[in-house]
Amino acid sequence: MSAITAEDLKVFVEQLKRLLADRSSETEVRRLSETSEGYDPTVWKALADLGVTGLIIDEDHGGFGGDAVALERVMEEVGAALLCSPLLSSAILAPALLQALDDDAAKVRLLPDLASGAKIATVAITGPSAGWIEGHVAVDAMAVGTDWSLTGKAAFVTHAHIADVLLVVARAPDGVAVFEVDPKAAGVSLTSLPTFDHTLRMSDIDFAKVSARRLACNGSAWQAVEAMIDLALIALAGEQAGGSRRVLEMTVDYAKNRYQFGRAIGSFQAVKHMAADLLMDSESCTSAARHAAQCLASGSDEAPSAISLAAFACADAFSAITATSIQMHGGIAFTWAHPAHLYLRRARADAHLFGSSDFYRERYVQQLGG
Amino acid sequence: MTTQTLTDEALKAEVTAWLADHWKPKAGDQGAGFGLHPQRDFMAKVVEARWAVPTWPKDWYGREMSLAQAKIIEKAFAAVGAPGAGQDRSNLWANTAMAHATPAFKKTIVPALLKGEVGMCLLYSEPGAGSDLAAIRTRADRKGDHYVVNGQKVWTSGAAVADYGMLIARTDWDVPKHKGISFFFLPMKQPGIEVRPLRQITNEAHFNEVFITDAIVPADNMLGPLNNGWGVLQTALAYERSVMGDAARGPRSGQDNPKGDSALVELAREAGRLNDPVIRQEVAQVTAYKVLNRLNNARAKAELAQGNSSPIMSLGKLAMSRILHEEARLRSKLLGAGSLLEGPDHPRAEDANFLSLNAYFTSIGGGTDQIQRNIIGERVLGLPKEPEVDRDMAFRDVRSG
Repeated sequence: MSAITAEDLKVFVEQLKRLLADRSSETEVRRLSETSEGYDPTVWKALADLGVTGLIIDEDHGGFGGDAVALERVMEEVGAALLCSPLLSSAILAPALLQALDDDAAKVRLLPDLASGAKIATVAITGPSAGWIEGHVAVDAMAVGTDWSLTGKAAFVTHAHIADVLLVVARAPDGVAVFEVDPKAAGVSLTSLPTFDHTLRMSDIDFAKVSARRLACNGSAWQAVEAMIDLALIALAGEQAGGSRRVLEMTVDYAKNRYQFGRAIGSFQAVKHMAADLLMDSESCTSAARHAAQCLASGSDEAPSAISLAAFACADAFSAITATSIQMHGGIAFTWAHPAHLYLRRARADAHLFGSSDFYRERYVQQLGG
Repeated sequence: MTTQTLTDEALKAEVTAWLADHWKPKAGDQGAGFGLHPQRDFMAKVVEARWAVPTWPKDWYGREMSLAQAKIIEKAFAAVGAPGAGQDRSNLWANTAMAHATPAFKKTIVPALLKGEVGMCLLYSEPGAGSDLAAIRTRADRKGDHYVVNGQKVWTSGAAVADYGMLIARTDWDVPKHKGISFFFLPMKQPGIEVRPLRQITNEAHFNEVFITDAIVPADNMLGPLNNGWGVLQTALAYERSVMGDAARGPRSGQDNPKGDSALVELAREAGRLNDPVIRQEVAQVTAYKVLNRLNNARAKAELAQGNSSPIMSLGKLAMSRILHEEARLRSKLLGAGSLLEGPDHPRAEDANFLSLNAYFTSIGGGTDQIQRNIIGERVLGLPKEPEVDRDMAFRDVRSG
């Protein structure tokens, strides 16, 4: 159950909108895209003060206890504003994973600093095969006395370059487990990746006999990882829904104000019909994202299939809308200075992190009994 | 306010008691179609008891009741399967007549319509006026106390059994197209009316062509002022949506079809194609179109209930059109060469092929997908209209064909 009421959430989202309008303008997004950190620590502080970094963290650990519905709604605004921040890694992946595990000491040690934004954490999930499935985990864990040692490769790790804490999914002799690693520890080498989405930072990480602390888990740790990915998919769906609506709005505005042949280009049916189709995609995207969040928050049996549906429907909608938007704008959107490509780049990232649309369509068929 | 306001509980008790006294269900009862109502004796009692149109004025079979209380009556009728309630929301014909007929005509036609004593049909579309409905060329010319009608109408359901057709006809050719149209209740049972069934691509005949030659309509049967038929039509079209809302039909073979969100999975399994990864992707995608439309509708309803308008309402027909065409395409693909066949011995093929053709009922009927996209673009997104070359031209000079 969420500790945040619907009324509180409304107020919270309004405050967030104002903060983003102020601190995540297109100019800021472009400026931060070119920095090596890729985010603004003062904006991070403002997000923490507002409560965004602690949104899904339990109240016992300094957070607000928000559920999937609150997260999805917040991410709609984040997506619309193309916010440059380690939110996905430090306020969603890491706390979701810690809360799905059973290590109370780790929660006490880590969650309050994540909630306050004082520390940034991320999760290394997949190896270079990059399917975000159990079989693609490519870090091995060996017991060394009471301690553990990690060796192997993690790929596409988000915001690892600024992380104070790494949570690493690795293969122990008794199955997959999650380990806490200091990114400055001996044997950790980070390679920053040149990302197509310039608002995102990712790294490959090589582990060579890295000292690690194993986090306790009563059941299957991979199930905890899956629970984390499910919540992350809902967050991305929210981002895709918010981004879709913003791009549609921008594109329709342009079609009303751009004149060729003596008339607004939006009066041409060739353009108008594209806009109508985008509205269908954008509304379906919002419905799928919110429904998945609602199902997960209420503990519905439908949650797994609703999340699969949102994963592929929202990814495909945001990709289609951002691509069609460029075509509808024409030449102006082929320029670097126009924001349309920034959204297309974000859509690409969102569509591939944690698994492709094809992967989730396949999972959906399995969930339908096929 | 009346001196005595009926409580919801008292109203519910009253209508339930009345139904217990008067409603005797018969086997095989059908709902209202286009012809005479099969339950018209009972319908007459419903009207006289003032259950048919409770939100209407007291002089007109109503109770001047709130919509919320009217709903209570509708629910009580629905609970026992009795017809006749809720006509103030759903009776396209009576509502149109109520809003626009002359006092004398209204007095005879409105009760007859409410009681299901007259059959009705729609005389709107013509071979040369489909998407561009205002381009009609059927003419009505004044002669004394009546009009003489000549022309051809199409896509008319129920024409053979109808007593009246709601007709739009041109009454002035020297003004722009929307401004020279009048609206009539045309008596159908007269020599000048010839009805021919129209064979559809599905090899069925649900519609007719209607040929009108020197047919007579009394001037008193005109609804609204002369040349103001386009305005009357807008009222009628608004009510028509509630009649036609559920018009798309499912499979017709009679063989059981799997239901629910896993229906296509089951059909793929039955066809032995469920292990094909390409088919699995398509099954997921087409199922997703259906589920997304359902989620969109649920969200629209919730937003409307909160008093917010929703852009989604206008998307439903376009979404349904995609669902039907895509499902038909996938069902045919699952069958492979099996889809070359039809008929009762090949029920899956019969259904797939029927759906492939009948999907056009939704993507063309009631405004094509392309017209629908114009409406969404213009009314929802606020994009400007195309310039209309015939907008300000006398209709006589407009090119057509």
